[in-house]
Amino acid sequence: MAAASSSSASPKTTMERRGIPGAQFVEDVETYLSQTGLDVNSALAFLQERLQQYKLVEMKLLAQQRDLQAKIPDIEKCLDVVATLQAKKGTGEALIADFEVSEGIYSRARIEDNDSVCLWLGANVMLEYSCEEATSLLKKNLENAKASLEVLIADLQFLRDQVTITQVTIARVYNWDVHQRRIHQTSASTAAKDS
Amino acid sequence: MQQGPGGSETEVTWEDQQNINKFGRLNNRFHELEDEIKTAKETNDNLEDASNELILTDEEVVRFQIGEVFAHVPKEEVETRIEEMKEVTSKNLEKLEEEKESVLAQMTELKTILYGKFKDSINLEED
Repeated sequence: MAAASSSSASPKTTMERRGIPGAQFVEDVETYLSQTGLDVNSALAFLQERLQQYKLVEMKLLAQQRDLQAKIPDIEKCLDVVATLQAKKGTGEALIADFEVSEGIYSRARIEDNDSVCLWLGANVMLEYSCEEATSLLKKNLENAKASLEVLIADLQFLRDQVTITQVTIARVYNWDVHQRRIHQTSASTAAKDS
Repeated sequence: MQQGPGGSETEVTWEDQQNINKFGRLNNRFHELEDEIKTAKETNDNLEDASNELILTDEEVVRFQIGEVFAHVPKEEVETRIEEMKEVTSKNLEKLEEEKESVLAQMTELKTILYGKFKDSINLEED
């Protein structure tokens, strides 16, 4: 995966992907804190906020993914219908179909030999196409939808990686802080014992 | 999967982080696959039921759903179509099961590596 290979080359640089900021990988907690000049609580707050932002973007992308995943079978169904109509064209007999007039109410239609179909393009627009044109348009839409879905899935994977990195960083900063406090406590109590 | 707090002694290297990321990604894919396999199995069952019904019926013309309408299709053609659909669905199901096995294997491997380094400091189980 392209994103993974670039990240293995330079773990310190923060990659960005289509507007999603990359999470900076922390080699050493102490260096990270001194570099950013933040104390532990501010660092934790910053990381938590980043995490929330990531979650928001994740919800948006998931919604888009659901939409696309619903759209693709619809386009495939349309292609099926157009293919059936084209097949019937050769035989000269009409296609008889039962269709839904309203919820629960069906009526019978007799579809005569036809060279054209009408495609709903959205925004209250419907255009008439020849069967071949309709098939190629639908195929193109299907390919675009599938390609968009792939890009979206890659975005989601990148995003989830950033979330994981941020979660691990939060845990490490917190633990480093606990560790530091423990050290200070032990040295303070040793100093108290000595004096 | 949770990342438990890292021990104060164990440092997390970039390679560890990448392994953790990969595990997370595989885990997600595993759940997606489980859902897809469930749907594929349901479709398979439906097609089975449909072809059984077809054998029992004595009508010559069957209303077969194409798109949003039910077209009147002769029984033999419906049989052929359903057989084709069953082929496609079972191949798809097989492919999904294979992918699931591979994902599980990779996850087990990563678990060994990560538990090896972090022992109790990391939790890779389902809650």
